[in-house]
Amino acid sequence: MKEITNKIQEIATRLFNEGKADVFLAWEKQGEDYQVKPYFARSIDDVKNIVFNEYSIHNLSNALLKLRDGHEKIGIVVKGCDSRGIVRLLEDLQIKRDRLYIVGVSCPGMKDPLVAGRNKSGFNKIQEEEGLAKKCQDCIQPNPVIYDELVGSEQAAKLQGERFAKIKAIENMTADERYKFFEDTLSTCIRCYACRQVCVACNCRTCIFDEMKPQWVGRENNATDNMMYHIVKASHMAGRCIECGECERVCPVNIPLMLINQKLIKDVNEFFGPYEAGMQYIEGAKPAMSMYKEKDPDNFL
Amino acid sequence: MKVLSKAKLETVLNTLNENTEVFVPMQKGVQSGYFTWKSFENGKDELMLDVLNVYHSPKNVVLPQTEKMYGIKSKGVEVNIDKTYEDNHPTLIFGARGCDVKGILAMDDVFLTRGYEDSFYKARRSNNIIIANACYNPGPNCFCNAMEVNPVDPVGADVIIRDAGDVYIWEAKSEKGEAITAQIASLLEEKDAKSPESKPFKQNVDYTGVAEKLKGMFEHPFWNKISEPCSNCGMCTYVCPSCYCFDIQVKMWGDEGYRFRAWDSCMYEEYSREAGGGNPRGAGKERFRNRFLHKLEFYKERYGTPLCTGCGRCIVVCPNDINIVKIIDAVKEAE
Repeated sequence: MKEITNKIQEIATRLFNEGKADVFLAWEKQGEDYQVKPYFARSIDDVKNIVFNEYSIHNLSNALLKLRDGHEKIGIVVKGCDSRGIVRLLEDLQIKRDRLYIVGVSCPGMKDPLVAGRNKSGFNKIQEEEGLAKKCQDCIQPNPVIYDELVGSEQAAKLQGERFAKIKAIENMTADERYKFFEDTLSTCIRCYACRQVCVACNCRTCIFDEMKPQWVGRENNATDNMMYHIVKASHMAGRCIECGECERVCPVNIPLMLINQKLIKDVNEFFGPYEAGMQYIEGAKPAMSMYKEKDPDNFL
Repeated sequence: MKVLSKAKLETVLNTLNENTEVFVPMQKGVQSGYFTWKSFENGKDELMLDVLNVYHSPKNVVLPQTEKMYGIKSKGVEVNIDKTYEDNHPTLIFGARGCDVKGILAMDDVFLTRGYEDSFYKARRSNNIIIANACYNPGPNCFCNAMEVNPVDPVGADVIIRDAGDVYIWEAKSEKGEAITAQIASLLEEKDAKSPESKPFKQNVDYTGVAEKLKGMFEHPFWNKISEPCSNCGMCTYVCPSCYCFDIQVKMWGDEGYRFRAWDSCMYEEYSREAGGGNPRGAGKERFRNRFLHKLEFYKERYGTPLCTGCGRCIVVCPNDINIVKIIDAVKEAE
């Protein structure tokens, strides 16, 4: 990891020196190893603060949304999943490719800083498993799919066993069981919208949930409004979720949001595929659910 | 002194629960917060009185996330309130830490003082009892001592319990506390027990002068840097024991409906959006700055104490490692 950090710092220095970046997105550490956060380096003086360690888990492509209206040239470090986020933003026309200098890192799998923080918090009676982050255990794409420069050696996918096993278990429930499962799970939502804020596919300038006229989803914290929020959000993810798992990772009430997203990934692939969101960038290409063909199957309607 | 044997804890909770809705810190499946003792399922749920704290504060007992206010019936242009839902059923928070008690006291100041009493809050709070669990072993993110909280002798508690091994030392601190003590008198024992030793705080936070200094720092460039990692979700405000902002909205079906309030967060763009579409805090940085100025400056100016209680929850849950302690340090260091 130290080597990767050195290499990233070298690249950032070079980009600033050559005037190829006005801002460089990476991570910084403050305090303990797990206290890592997204970092916007803006000059050579900042480069020394850049870190890539086993907790650099945040999907930085989301941070590009903060810069989408500007003209700065942006250097950005991406892991496999983050790079798929960049494809998402390019396909969604949120940022221009020529503003970006993408430093790809083949990802060895990350640990979750939130788990480490919770284990140290004193709030847990039983310590959580601190190994490979849960989201990384489902990883199918550790290597960046789009980059200008690659750091680190190619990594093998971390996923063991059947990819959609958890989804099939839910599909096998009766409709009533399934409704109860999601009603129970989603009723714990506190509507902090962290799952939306960290999502790179949630890049609408005004989110439907923030609209007031009309107000599409009520603000009451109950099973009905919570389910409305999650179902509407999920349907906007169909064919667009790049499976970075950030939504589920950051949820403060531990809602297994990737179950919903993975069901959509599976369905979109079965009905409209073969299709895997954000695996390659072809200029002008459209994600599966963003266009309509007459022959599209509709037998599920 | 009076002590409560831990072996009798469940009996005490059952007794209190007879005429009061009792809330306890609990691990309920994957959820960690204050839940009703009535909902406790043996073997499935776990009481969390012996950990530092739970992830969600007890503020929802006096300020529920969603609360009905008025029933409405409309007839033509005429709109009538046909019901007011003020809820004063007795509630009891068992085992709150000092930081969380301070959170409720902060809300008392907001909702009950300075010329206006919020009748909905007042109804809930007037029949609410707090049994505090004195805190002797601060966690790595704790800094309540810097935020005017006394963790071993919290102000505002009706009863304070102190963990002395097999027993809790039981000390009534108010008339309400005396009444509760009388109610469970037969379950308490007279016995000598020793309070635990206070362990030192693991971080040293210095809040002195921060509110005053912040007055001149509204336009300080450090807000740019420090707010950049924030993704503007509202998690910090919802786990916070003292964040009290709410929004009032209406739900109607034809001619009938109700008005309710629901927690809102200053982190949301919609929160400060004005009727004409303008927004004085349209940018994420502006909302971020407002949150910390409210916690550390504005509230202190109005009520004489910070709105942050030093519980450290926002530090633990923040996906982007925003740390209020580091912000206090940065204010101190800023030129």
